Amino acid sequence: MHYTFDIERGNFTDAGQASSSVKRTLKQLGVDPANIKRTVVALFEAEINAVAHAYGGKIDVDIDGEKIVMVVADEGPGIPNLDLAMQEGWSTASAKVREMGYGAGMGLPNIKKNTDDLKIDTKVGVGTTVTMTVYLT
Amino acid sequence: MAQGETYFKHSLKVNGYLCAGCTTCMRTCPTGAIRIRGGKAVIYDNKCVDCGECMKICPHKAIYIKQDDFQLIENYGYKVCLVPTTFIGQFEEKYKTKAIYSCLKKLGFTHIYEVEHGVEFMVDLYKEYMEEHPEIRTFISPYCPAVIRLIQVRFPSLVDNIIKLKSPLDLAARVILKKLMDAGARRESIGIFYVTPCAAKIASVKYPVSQQDTCIAGVINMDFLYNKVQLMLHDSDKDVKPINHALTSRDVMWPLAGGEASLFRGSNYAVDGLQNVISFLEKLEDEAIDAPGLIEMRICDQGCVGGVLTTNNRFVARKRLENRARLLDRLHRRNNTDAVSYDDSEFSEQIAEQMVIPEIKPRSLYKLDDNFAEAFKMAERMKKIEKALPGVNCSACGAPSCAALAEDIVRGDARIDTCIFINRHSQASEDAIRSIWGDRVRTKEINNEENKQ
Repeated sequence: MHYTFDIERGNFTDAGQASSSVKRTLKQLGVDPANIKRTVVALFEAEINAVAHAYGGKIDVDIDGEKIVMVVADEGPGIPNLDLAMQEGWSTASAKVREMGYGAGMGLPNIKKNTDDLKIDTKVGVGTTVTMTVYLT
Repeated sequence: MAQGETYFKHSLKVNGYLCAGCTTCMRTCPTGAIRIRGGKAVIYDNKCVDCGECMKICPHKAIYIKQDDFQLIENYGYKVCLVPTTFIGQFEEKYKTKAIYSCLKKLGFTHIYEVEHGVEFMVDLYKEYMEEHPEIRTFISPYCPAVIRLIQVRFPSLVDNIIKLKSPLDLAARVILKKLMDAGARRESIGIFYVTPCAAKIASVKYPVSQQDTCIAGVINMDFLYNKVQLMLHDSDKDVKPINHALTSRDVMWPLAGGEASLFRGSNYAVDGLQNVISFLEKLEDEAIDAPGLIEMRICDQGCVGGVLTTNNRFVARKRLENRARLLDRLHRRNNTDAVSYDDSEFSEQIAEQMVIPEIKPRSLYKLDDNFAEAFKMAERMKKIEKALPGVNCSACGAPSCAALAEDIVRGDARIDTCIFINRHSQASEDAIRSIWGDRVRTKEINNEENKQ
């Protein structure tokens, strides 16, 4: 099953629709609640990352019999130092974003913690593609 | 709708004579538990959480709560009225509490006991429970039975966050029983009757989540009793007191929104109102809200004074109870009485042990099939059907929304040709529908493909 969602820069209010929609499907499939939670938390973090940093993007979610693959691709500044970004507490989020309660530097580390496989392709000045996989069994 | 094993039972019923099949309740139900069948609303047991929203909104007063026959009290020598403080909130301030209780006596009750008497004991049990479970970050109060059921069916991943303890109502019933039996009464001669402000409380007494006896002989609807008492109030003898000690202000405030959360340390959330509870649980499930400590949750707006069986305006009732709480504070100060309403001799360790709920089972209403491969096939088909449906949510098919119809179809409970958008036999009906909905009208190929299934 395939789902597509658009990401709009700076629209924190509507963020989370992708994860709610995916959550509903996983509940229908009877997926273990712990795996649902991992998936939803990771997807929401990735979406918020893109909303906060990028100029726009797209989310593609594929669910098959054994796994969920989520691809969050954005056009944006890219991540100059990926190793730093993977550290807890490191953030380049603007003051405005932090005021909204985001930008604590937990995004990528939290995604890593909640997924079974994480791939990040990033190019400074072009954009970032985060590919996350959660195995259902 | 194929239901399989029924694990929830309810007191909410549809009166077939009054129901007009208008779909209002069906569209309101937060768990999609209602369908129209044979021109009438039908409530499906395993999906209903007893929130009472259908009853509140029904324009034909066709949904009612089945109560016990009032004559039932005559079967007992000890006729105990277990009355929540919310009941007092239903009356104008000029009628004193004692006067209201004297009417209950005249109606035949021999003893009156206030449910909230044991609230502070429950608070201590909650606190112990929370200390014994350091692995749980967020605790959800088990007080509102509709919240427990809502979590079971819509948020099964959160069932372990519910504090597995019974309610002050269970506690009160057990304490009275012990009190009367210690004084020499036989168990069979004691009939405890609870006055309920809502459907969920009845269900929790009749079909408790713990599946253990609640010691309650019958349940009386609050609006029914209100009418009886209101008629008698002008000539009451005004000197009747309940058998429990004077409540504290904290007891009285407990059923109101915020009354529970304020009794615990830390910054606890108090969430009231059906939609508020749902959106909060949704965020909690996604870990988008971090809520360490206790969350008080009430399905009814303003808490129990917003129950479907209340008569008085919920804000007026709240004000009366706030005034009562202030009065009790003054009384306790003047008499120099203890700050806590319960004493240890009544609330023993033995009773505390009876308050434990062994298990709360998740009962997901979303799950399409126990077999993952089968559920996957059904979900795919459902997505396809949903795309074929107009998305107008007209409810003419007897389901609350196009998505619900799609689900009913894959579950084998409905057919796609019940959709009036898809099933257009004549050019005239085609033109009529097209004149209203334009391009939303779909082609018939989907219909044919689906009919082959």
